Amino acid sequence: MLQLHFTNDTLPDHVCTDFQNLNKFSEQQFVRLTEILYQFLLEPKESERFLRQLTEFAGENGMSAGPLRALMKSVLILPHGALKRNLTAEQVKADLLSLGLNEDKATHFSDQWRIHYPVLSRLAVGQTLMVNQLVDMEWKFGVTVGTSELQKTGNIFLQLKLVIRKGNKTENVYMELTLPQFYNFLHEMERAKASMDCFS
Amino acid sequence: MAFLTEDQFTALQLLLKAPSKDAVRQICTESYPAGASKCQSTVEKTANALSVSNSEAMQLLTAFHMLSHHVVYQNLTSPEQILPIFPESFHSNLKNLITKILLENSVTWRNEALSSQISLPKLVDLEWRVDMKTASDSLSRMAVPTCLLQMKLQDTPCISGGPSESTVTMELSKETLDTMIDGLGRIRDQLSTVARK
Repeated sequence: MLQLHFTNDTLPDHVCTDFQNLNKFSEQQFVRLTEILYQFLLEPKESERFLRQLTEFAGENGMSAGPLRALMKSVLILPHGALKRNLTAEQVKADLLSLGLNEDKATHFSDQWRIHYPVLSRLAVGQTLMVNQLVDMEWKFGVTVGTSELQKTGNIFLQLKLVIRKGNKTENVYMELTLPQFYNFLHEMERAKASMDCFS
Repeated sequence: MAFLTEDQFTALQLLLKAPSKDAVRQICTESYPAGASKCQSTVEKTANALSVSNSEAMQLLTAFHMLSHHVVYQNLTSPEQILPIFPESFHSNLKNLITKILLENSVTWRNEALSSQISLPKLVDLEWRVDMKTASDSLSRMAVPTCLLQMKLQDTPCISGGPSESTVTMELSKETLDTMIDGLGRIRDQLSTVARK
């Protein structure tokens, strides 16, 4: 039973085999595969591009695309687990060595991990659940010149439109504030920011 | 300025039957809100106070309602502006009393009109809290602060019906909060530029 940092589960045999098969690639091929892999990790929505690049690679290197894709699917398990568990580059390298990857390739992969880790973890934070996320704020303010009750006034009003993401769609919330309410709102938000700043 | 008809001025003179100046004041303030002259209890109360019929009471309330709203609309703030409204034949002491009552209340009525005018839902309450996210399905260990904001909005329809309250809760990341405060700061600067002009 392998002791791995990136997962507590027992890996299926084919995954271990797949990692060992990586040793068969030349240095150049491995570097290119690693590049394709990290590109996908950094832009997880580009799955079509990822598969296309793998197919191209397979064609250029005289191998079938299907097994290559299956291989990369196994390999992806490691960075996904490593990200979830905030692993360091050393730990990633140790896991790769445990899985049977040779020293050079393990070093290269973990170096890339070190380089890309800050962006990857920020991406993971960004993917974390947010409830009713505020996405946009628009405002206008003006002066009420007159109403049906008052022929002439000079009242300042502030109108805010907040755009909130609810699931897949956005909702607009409109509201009006008087000047004192606006100053109070600004004051409260600055207090919230001060509170947040304490933690970072 | 004959926006009140002669009949309506006659109806106003029914106030002469009031038992006291305070009774006149009471009737005048009760006639101000919209729909006062249609409110059965107000009409009956007025009719009893003045010992007149319900229909006469309704006429009086309507007349005073029009007069007081006119004063607020035109922003008449001095006796010299109000007294000429009344016809020559109007009872002089009553005219002075009504003018005094109108002037006493017009500031309150004006502020009420300002606060209940047509508007988007008004912000009535604001609450926030700052949380620390410590784990999620994508990261088993994290320390990300986040702000939850709850705003209570009240929509007061001008015409009829009661106010309806709604609550909006939203989550802001640190960046969003910073951006929002930038935006609010810009509003503050724009406001002070306008105020200075």
